[in-house]
Amino acid sequence: MSFLVTICACSSDSAPPRTLYVLTFNMPHMEAEFSLWAKEFRRLHPGFDVQQIDRKGSNWAAYYHTQVIAGTAPDIIDTQGAIWLQYASQGGLLDLSRYLERDRDFTNQFYPELIESWRYGGKNYGVPLYFTKTLLFYNKQMFKEAGLTQPPRSFAELMSHARKLAGTGRYGFMTLNFDWLYWPLFAMNDIRLVTPDCKRAAFNTPAARMLIEELAAATAEGIISPTSWTGRWVEPNGMFAAGNVGMFNAHSTALLWIMSNAQWVNEGSVGFAQMPGDWSVPNAHALHISASTRYPEQAWDFIKIVTQGSGALAFGKKLNSPTGNRVVNAQLREYFAQTNPMVLDVLGTQFEYLDRMVANWPLARDTEIKHAFYPEIQSAILGNKSAADALASAERKVNHILSRPGGIPEDCG
Amino acid sequence: MTAATRKMQRVSTAFSRYRPWLPWVMLAPALAIFIAYRLAPLFWNMVLSVQHWSMFQAPTFAGLYHYRELFLYDDTLRQSFENTLIYLASSPIAIAIAFALALLLDRPLRARGLYRAIFFISYPVMTVVVAVIWLWLFHEKVGLVNHVLLSTGIVGKPLHFLQDDQLALGAVIVASMWQVIGLYMIILLTGLQSIPATLKQAAASDGAGPWQRFRHITLPLMRPSIFLCVVVAIVNSFAAFDLVYVMTDGGPGHASEMMITYIYDVAFSLGRFDYAAALTIFNFAFFMMLAWFANRMAGGDAGGGDGR
Amino acid sequence: MAGDAALSRRGIAKWLAHLALLPASALMLIPFYWLLKTSLTGENLFVYPPRVWPDDPNLFHFVDVWYAVPFIRYLWNSVLVSALAVVSNVVLNAMAGYALAQGFRGQRGIVLLLLSSMMIPFQVTVVPAYLITRELGLLNSHLGMALPLSSTIVCIFLFKASFSAIPRSLTEAARIDGMSEWRIIREIHLPLSKAAVATNVVLAFVWSWNSFLWPLLVARDQQMQTLPLGLAAFLSVVEDTSGALYAFCVMVLMPGLLVFLMAQRHFIAGLTAGATKG
Repeated sequence: MSFLVTICACSSDSAPPRTLYVLTFNMPHMEAEFSLWAKEFRRLHPGFDVQQIDRKGSNWAAYYHTQVIAGTAPDIIDTQGAIWLQYASQGGLLDLSRYLERDRDFTNQFYPELIESWRYGGKNYGVPLYFTKTLLFYNKQMFKEAGLTQPPRSFAELMSHARKLAGTGRYGFMTLNFDWLYWPLFAMNDIRLVTPDCKRAAFNTPAARMLIEELAAATAEGIISPTSWTGRWVEPNGMFAAGNVGMFNAHSTALLWIMSNAQWVNEGSVGFAQMPGDWSVPNAHALHISASTRYPEQAWDFIKIVTQGSGALAFGKKLNSPTGNRVVNAQLREYFAQTNPMVLDVLGTQFEYLDRMVANWPLARDTEIKHAFYPEIQSAILGNKSAADALASAERKVNHILSRPGGIPEDCG
Repeated sequence: MTAATRKMQRVSTAFSRYRPWLPWVMLAPALAIFIAYRLAPLFWNMVLSVQHWSMFQAPTFAGLYHYRELFLYDDTLRQSFENTLIYLASSPIAIAIAFALALLLDRPLRARGLYRAIFFISYPVMTVVVAVIWLWLFHEKVGLVNHVLLSTGIVGKPLHFLQDDQLALGAVIVASMWQVIGLYMIILLTGLQSIPATLKQAAASDGAGPWQRFRHITLPLMRPSIFLCVVVAIVNSFAAFDLVYVMTDGGPGHASEMMITYIYDVAFSLGRFDYAAALTIFNFAFFMMLAWFANRMAGGDAGGGDGR
Repeated sequence: MAGDAALSRRGIAKWLAHLALLPASALMLIPFYWLLKTSLTGENLFVYPPRVWPDDPNLFHFVDVWYAVPFIRYLWNSVLVSALAVVSNVVLNAMAGYALAQGFRGQRGIVLLLLSSMMIPFQVTVVPAYLITRELGLLNSHLGMALPLSSTIVCIFLFKASFSAIPRSLTEAARIDGMSEWRIIREIHLPLSKAAVATNVVLAFVWSWNSFLWPLLVARDQQMQTLPLGLAAFLSVVEDTSGALYAFCVMVLMPGLLVFLMAQRHFIAGLTAGATKG
């Protein structure tokens, strides 16, 4: 009998490691950091291994959806922005509230607002991985030439600044447009997307119509760059990096991209401030555990390795980005103070006015709503449609999406 | 009947009479591929289109919910469908141009082989590369198309082809025409070359002018070739996926969205596989009608169902 | 004299043909030139107005691509997948075409089935196809990437047409001699259908070479990615702002053009069989 037990023990030692899969969102150059985390994980859980699968943003959903249908959903996923809402609402993500409660020391390291960001229907689904939100960056040289000294503090000032900055081959203002990043323009004009109970669209107002008409006129006159509405990532960032744009509404990650592509960018040449009204749109990443995972405890431990201590520090240094973890951010601050003071200053703004974040509605159908809303607005701003038509059409579509059951949590708004 | 003839008769039906399983064995591998990768998926889509299904939960019966959504509420579908029709309608134009080129080449020119190669060379190019090439050619600032239009004074300001509601789809169509016109031309040219010269000469000596010769001899004999071009055009419209995906991503808004890219978007970006299934069935029904129609125009049995 | 008039008419017609064909050829070739020029230019891509000749031509962008992207790996994967697709296409399509050409009961139904399968675009089949591939254990493998592409209906009909043109007596005689059907295909029909084979090769190659969506889902590791995937990924990273993108395109074009130039003659002859009998 003991002989058989010995054999069994031997065979489990030589059994292949049980592997956890981590699907990351557009993080291709993290092999070094990942192997660090993997090593720590293997030490903590012998007999287990962990592997990274990375997908570019445009392919991420296609890959993830296919894996889910095939029954092989990755154990841990990294999401950007609001895509996680859909999966949480459909029961695809594990409720992490229990773990967050149990490991209080861990949970307390994070900014409470961020932990709240990944709450849906009263449950917590994500652990913050890194955090970024929008700012207004401006070209100080262009400001000087236009006789401007201060960044704008109201929408009217924003537009008049832009008018002064624009010229041949130069634009006064530009914005990124994915994931609702342009929403501060709406927020500062008192426009809401949905009613407080999240049940109906609320944006078809005279204020919205005026805003869109003004943006359309400015874009047509060459004051706002059309790339704001049609560009993706490289193009708009590249334009600011080329020194052709006076003001740029973008998140801190964009600035870091620009800095790595333009030598002239430093504290003296580029200023930054909150958008008028201090409104900002977050575009953060979080780690989630799939509801279908066979190893939730191990997955949780891996998440802890990545989001605290030396694991998170290595991540923040590589990405030049703050994490969601206060303790780690303090260490990162020291690091950036020595290596890149400008980054330090920018990153300081990222945790101000966390109560003025917008475009972070807990709507499960966020992606669909985005797909319905933005093309209409874009069409109107590019002059292909009247603002009234675009808003009416968008309102109709958004209302239809909201009317379908299951997209709105009880505690919405 | 002699013994030899009887033997021949026995042997000539040997293929299917004595071994009725043989044709099926030969067909089996190819059939297996189609059943697995085309027909089973179609069936899967049919079933799914009458269900509610989130990726994470078991499906529930939905009846005609998605079809109602499709017909009554979906603006984007209407636009994608229109765009697909426009795209398909551009094939006769491409085929006509290819026909003209084939007619020009249907004579003993010395450089004919060279011309043939030049026109065909765009077809084996990877569609993603075609998309990148034309993306660049249509660039609003440094694209060649704008440069030519501006230099010749046809337009006063550069056109934002790929960001323009009206022009984006046209740009995709131009790219696709450039890619496929060589294939049409080759098909039509070989069709032309197989028309016996004696027929045309006989008609000429009977007093028929070039136009009459074309209408009464060439065109009818070219029917199979033209039909093949139409089939290629239909299959090729599915390949437009790559072009749209790379050049415009359906944009601006949904101005260049085609049925095929819309279905993909609904399934893989929005995760609504149930609704995408209904769209798929709709799309399939449309193409079946189209194929049936094209078959009728070509004079009936295009596939040759009698073992000729 | 009448003969001279006819000759000079033919001569004029020839010149007119050239007059029309030359600009058409230019239109076809200019996009290639523009691509090549952009990949070789040493200066900023966005200088305005765009130059006709590459300024300061050098191979820098090509070097860029070489180091940024595992080109050989991608090329190898694409070649392997295409090779699998081409070989299986010729074998499967020839067999099926032969069966159809010889005729059997229930043929009509099969033909209708195949014709309607042509109307199903690939993109809508990917999810079930993925599930089937998974059941077969072929995920993340070259065979898995090649399998859905391993038979094409258009080519089956091309083979059928080509085989139907072979005189029945030849086939009968071989049967009387006791040859098995397999040998008949291999030793009589295929050699007489060189054109159909060449067509099959070119079309199967083009369609598998182009294949983008399927490998996207099936290739899990970066090691398994094919050229279109690599190119699309590169495009989404650099958008249209980098000369390296265009150099990548030029590098991607080379193998395809090579295959075409080699198979050109047979392929064009092969379309005769399809065009007139199809």
